[in-house]
Amino acid sequence: MTMPLLQTRALTRRFPGVVALANVDFAADGGEVHAVCGANGAGKSTLMNVLSGTILPSSGSVSVAGQEVSFASPADARAAGVSIVYQEFSSIPELTVADNIYLGREFHGPLHTVDRRAAVRAAGVLLERHGIALDANAMVGSLGVADRQLVELARALSTDARILILDEPTAVLSIAEQEKLFGVIRSLREKGLLVLYISHRLEEIFEIADRVSVMRDGALVATRAKADLTETELVRLMTGREVSAPHPPEPIPAGSRTVLTLSGLATDGSAVELRQGEILGLAGLVGAGRTSIAHRIVGLRPRSGFTAALDGAPLPDDPARVLEAGVVYMTEDRKRDGIFGPLAITSNATAAALKRFSSAGFLRLRRERAAAGEMLRGLRLVAASLDTPIASLSGGNQQKVLFARALMTAPRVLICDEPTRGVDVGAKEEIYGVLRRLAGEGVAIIVISSELNEVLALSHRIAVVRDGRITATMDNAGLDEHSLTVAATGVALRSAQG
Amino acid sequence: MRPLQATALACQRLPRIYWALFLLVLAGLVSTPQFGTAANLANVLEQSATLAILALGQAAVIAGGMIDLSVGQLVGLITVVACMLFEAYPAMSLPIIAVCLGLAAFVGLVNGELVNRLRMSPLILTFGMLSILQGAIFMLTDRSVGQAPPVMTFLANGRIAGIPASLLLVAAIAVGAWYLLQRSVFGWHLLAIGNSAESARKAGLNLASRTRTAFVLSGLCAGIAGLLVAGRLGTGFPNAGSGLELDSIVAVVLGGTLLKGGRVSVAGILGAVLFLGVLSNILNLLQVPAFTQIVVKGLIVIAAILVDRPREAAAA
Repeated sequence: MTMPLLQTRALTRRFPGVVALANVDFAADGGEVHAVCGANGAGKSTLMNVLSGTILPSSGSVSVAGQEVSFASPADARAAGVSIVYQEFSSIPELTVADNIYLGREFHGPLHTVDRRAAVRAAGVLLERHGIALDANAMVGSLGVADRQLVELARALSTDARILILDEPTAVLSIAEQEKLFGVIRSLREKGLLVLYISHRLEEIFEIADRVSVMRDGALVATRAKADLTETELVRLMTGREVSAPHPPEPIPAGSRTVLTLSGLATDGSAVELRQGEILGLAGLVGAGRTSIAHRIVGLRPRSGFTAALDGAPLPDDPARVLEAGVVYMTEDRKRDGIFGPLAITSNATAAALKRFSSAGFLRLRRERAAAGEMLRGLRLVAASLDTPIASLSGGNQQKVLFARALMTAPRVLICDEPTRGVDVGAKEEIYGVLRRLAGEGVAIIVISSELNEVLALSHRIAVVRDGRITATMDNAGLDEHSLTVAATGVALRSAQG
Repeated sequence: MRPLQATALACQRLPRIYWALFLLVLAGLVSTPQFGTAANLANVLEQSATLAILALGQAAVIAGGMIDLSVGQLVGLITVVACMLFEAYPAMSLPIIAVCLGLAAFVGLVNGELVNRLRMSPLILTFGMLSILQGAIFMLTDRSVGQAPPVMTFLANGRIAGIPASLLLVAAIAVGAWYLLQRSVFGWHLLAIGNSAESARKAGLNLASRTRTAFVLSGLCAGIAGLLVAGRLGTGFPNAGSGLELDSIVAVVLGGTLLKGGRVSVAGILGAVLFLGVLSNILNLLQVPAFTQIVVKGLIVIAAILVDRPREAAAA
């Protein structure tokens, strides 16, 4: 047996509070398309970031063609022939396609000047050779998302890489563009490259991959040839247990009224209604537009294309007034637009309901503090003091504080976007408990989650989202992860073709 | 390319500040006969030299999406140090100049290294440096001190073949800045970092090295500007640089360089410096009181940036 082109031994990466990669022994050969899949947070992206030199491993080793390597930077990785196409765009909109492709490896004119004309010529040849229809002189900012994806791919190809990493490359591509991408990938395989293909779209994996490695909770659980694998088996490996329907949520109390009505959002033209005490799960692929729906409901983005009504009355456009009306959105990105990092836990918990704690324009600190303390005890927050900056808490505890902030406003409708992202297993169960309790108290809840088992465990009904619209709504009875995966991917593909 | 197209392109590329400058010069010619005289125009150019050099250094830092508030006080420090040293060692003009430039570059290096190592916001860090330098100046002296070496007096006031020496100096630095910022790999990387530090990092650019170099260039330019100021004043005046850091930022931004980084225009900066110089010259000639001048200058700067905004909004 020959040496694998890429091999890792006992590769480990710890982040504060999380082991993102645990003793990963991974191997892949040249001339294959090797899919790496796993649920969100399984460690795929961390593995790819280590392999591409963006982050350093805590321990363990990586070898390329039998030579042990250590990548301190993406430039090191590229020099060893490893190139990555990122899931999020890393090109610079203010530069042209050619400039972006050769950024960091410019062509030099006299006196170490940048020869942009040479870059345009080389980019033209490169794009032509790989059949990528892009104008080398176009500004990247003027391109659509799919074309920007192709710029990233071209940049990776321009380094004469032996190992090409594609991180969720089709998340933003149409079917035609996806076929074009697959064509490029197949020709790369024929040239002897190793293509590491990260995706959680099962259909794609079965279409393009030769072998499949599955990750779960930071560990590599299996590597199989595609021929030895069925979809059911793959889902079982990804989720770590036999697929079985999780215990159904408590039934919605009889006689509960419709609270929220969304008209014009479903592709079949029907209105989506949410009742008191009901939990509606929004399932769909990353980039399907679930968060966009939530943002549009609460007025964070213009509500074009549909109307939202609370108790039959249309929701206001201004986010602050939507909040006052009792519709609360909890962000998927705590760090960016959830927490006020340096502020105390108390201030974070009461931020959305300061009116309750002020009189004559002054904050009543004691009242604020008492209310925050009571609410957070109910949520079983673990913290040394309520004066601690929220940034020092673990993800799960931060999320509890954000729950407190939402609950302080006494919401009628609560929209949770990825409520358990970056939250450890114990806190996860507690958050599920909170959501179920709220539903029992009559709050209508929308849960957005990329973890199918989460959607299944919580929801009474599940809506499948594609391109910012709801393509199907199903009762959560007899659904399991497999059938939901097929619905999310299969339904999505069919609707895109139609 | 046909000549007409080439002309159109050149007009398009000409930084907008030149239109404002053009209008301002017209206004000057109309409003006062003294404005158009050769002596007055040469005077404007000479007076603008310090700010031009300072702004070109500032541009390197701003192009990379950062800012350097310490340059004004650095000008003051270099002015004072140069004059004190010359008084003590009158035979050592050239070594003194070398020491002063070395000191200025070193302050820039410290700024850059601290930004890199402490991962601090350049705004806060260089504000701290501003304060440190200001304190250091007044620890050396609280009044005008020493004497400027003749080399520097010549640089500030002398002529070479009828052309002001300071103008030649500015021209040389401008060519260097144009090469470094708009043609070299260094400048290209700096602009990429200014556009998106994260993208630049992913593309494998060496952010720390580019940051360091940008601050060293800014410090070095402040050093040269400081020597020029000493030459003009003839003595080391501790407050010589106060407020120049803001003037340099205004000149950079008026010249069409984005304050958030990612785009730079050396020609634009020169135009903006001239605009500011001509403006205060006209106000002087019209005998507008000094404090009124400051108010008018503020209003015109705000107006000029408002006029220029559509371009920035389109790029955002």
